[in-house]
Amino acid sequence: MSLSLSVNGLEVRSPRGRVLMSLPSLEVPGGALVGIRGPSGAGKSTLLYALAGLLEPVSGSVRWGDTELLAQSAGRRTAFRAANVGMIFQDFLLFEELDAPGNAGVTALFRPRAERAALRARAEAQLARLGLDDAQRSVASFSGGERQRVAIARAMAAQAPVLLADEPTASLDRAAADRLIDDLVALARETGTTLIAVSHDLHLIERMDRVLTISDGALTEDRSVAA
Amino acid sequence: MSDLWYSLPPLLQDLLKLALLLLPGLLVGAIALRGYAPWPLTRAILTRFRWSAVMFVALIAISVGMGIGLLAQERGLRRGTAQAADKFDLVVAAPGSELSVLFAAVYLQPSDMALLSGEVYDEIARNEKVAVAAPLAFGDSYGTSPLIGTTEEFARYLSDDRIEGRMWAEHHETIAGAFVPLGIGDSFEPAHGIGDAAEDHAHEGEGLTVVGRMAPTGTPWDNALLVPVETVWEVHGLANGHAPEREEQIGPPFDPDYFPGTPAIVVHAEELWANYALRSEFTRDSETMAFFPGTVLANLYRVMGDVRQAMSVMALVTQVLVAASVLLGLFILSRLFRRQVALLRALGAPSRFVFAVVWSFGAVLLLAGAALGLLTGLGTAALLSQVVTVRTGILVTAPLGWAEIHFLAGFVSVTLILSLLPAALVLRQPVVDGLRA
Repeated sequence: MSLSLSVNGLEVRSPRGRVLMSLPSLEVPGGALVGIRGPSGAGKSTLLYALAGLLEPVSGSVRWGDTELLAQSAGRRTAFRAANVGMIFQDFLLFEELDAPGNAGVTALFRPRAERAALRARAEAQLARLGLDDAQRSVASFSGGERQRVAIARAMAAQAPVLLADEPTASLDRAAADRLIDDLVALARETGTTLIAVSHDLHLIERMDRVLTISDGALTEDRSVAA
Repeated sequence: MSDLWYSLPPLLQDLLKLALLLLPGLLVGAIALRGYAPWPLTRAILTRFRWSAVMFVALIAISVGMGIGLLAQERGLRRGTAQAADKFDLVVAAPGSELSVLFAAVYLQPSDMALLSGEVYDEIARNEKVAVAAPLAFGDSYGTSPLIGTTEEFARYLSDDRIEGRMWAEHHETIAGAFVPLGIGDSFEPAHGIGDAAEDHAHEGEGLTVVGRMAPTGTPWDNALLVPVETVWEVHGLANGHAPEREEQIGPPFDPDYFPGTPAIVVHAEELWANYALRSEFTRDSETMAFFPGTVLANLYRVMGDVRQAMSVMALVTQVLVAASVLLGLFILSRLFRRQVALLRALGAPSRFVFAVVWSFGAVLLLAGAALGLLTGLGTAALLSQVVTVRTGILVTAPLGWAEIHFLAGFVSVTLILSLLPAALVLRQPVVDGLRA
């Protein structure tokens, strides 16, 4: 399952009303892999968080499939994310005291009781798929690459049709970053997940179907990447 | 409704009161956690911030412990002082402060008191309703033990006739209270006066020998040395209560012409009504004052009860302030794990789940602090009891009572409800700010 994205007249403002990000129009078909690049402070992460429905105040339209996200209440946006959006962060954001399965299956804790066992099983399967099947120890002892793979397993275990990644390789060395990119792209393609990744990492950007360049809060380039 | 309540057995009343006090907190917990299992995350956050958590638990434990300890101690002190006065049915003294006489005669606290004459004593002793009429004589001591002159009859009555060794048979023999650091056969010279003002060599040549030891009574008399009242009078150069031809006599009857005076007479009648009659009979303006120590204590407790209520309110306010401080601390602490909270919300965790995680974090700290506070309170009460017993001779025990359990239950319930506040405030923090923190 995949979800397409349609953005129209999106504007994100600061609490004082200054426009931080403006995107007149953007169409992303379901299952596409999109990279967002640009200088630091350009508004890349802001766009990503706006697409996830995490930012206020915001105006315009962000439509995922048939769902107009910005028209939803905060509670419905949260429910939408739980069902449809996986997120990966630069510094992993794991619960250091939990083991890898505990972190990968953390969303099971707030899922309906009937879904919990299946989600945990998927989390363990994803960990195995990513080479972390014997990691029953606290993630505090993990390397950066291992941690980010746990974060990917967490995102994929939820079977979300959309994966939003914010600088997923920024905290990793080159070898670990390349392995992570391989895993991330392979998983997204296998499952038809729509992947939108903000990154400075050209190795990652080059593996996307399409690259958006953001500068000073505006889209300055939108190009497809040749296969 | 109140009739129904008071018709219930006390134990059931206490259990119901406990349940009612805990109910709001339990309901809040049940509603906050319903349908979720936040414990793995709560445990993870507790582990991450364990030292801060330990500090909070200790703060709560000390606060709760002091509250419980003081409540238990106050009750123990009240019970101990009442028990200490148990053998003192009626006390007759010169008109003045009943409280001063009570402290002097029952609790052996030094006090300047006017003396009753031999005629008054004689009239009391001859009254047919009187079973025991014991004059008391104070003023001397040995170490920290006051020397009390009285009669054999009273010494036996006070100790329920449980005396190791034997009763005195001569003027310079004494029986010791249970905790006096002298053994049977030991001799000593009493000092004139008590405490720092005592003159050690004022009664040189007036040696006394311990011939018996009373069993513990749980009263300050356990630290006293009892001698024939004649002995106290003699060592002060006074007549000894008997005519010269009977000067070797010990105990009543006393000759009013040779009776130097006594600050207080302890009276015991076999019948309860007789005590009331005697009190009435010997309550005379400008001559004698008769009172029941129990009544004076009851009046004192009534005043203390008001103070106690005020103290209870103050203790409660203090607990609420402590709880508020702790909750403020919890809110500050929750800022430390705002990234985790933001992560959960970014991953789609419902607000109520995040709320349950933060609330259960606070609840664990509060419950742990309360449980530890209970133990601290028991320890505090035991320590204070020991100190009071050693300092006053009054046997004070302060076991855990329902008042303390209710106090604790109220504290737990109130703070569990109050801890909804930091949990709610955490939810108001912007998610993206948390993710970028």
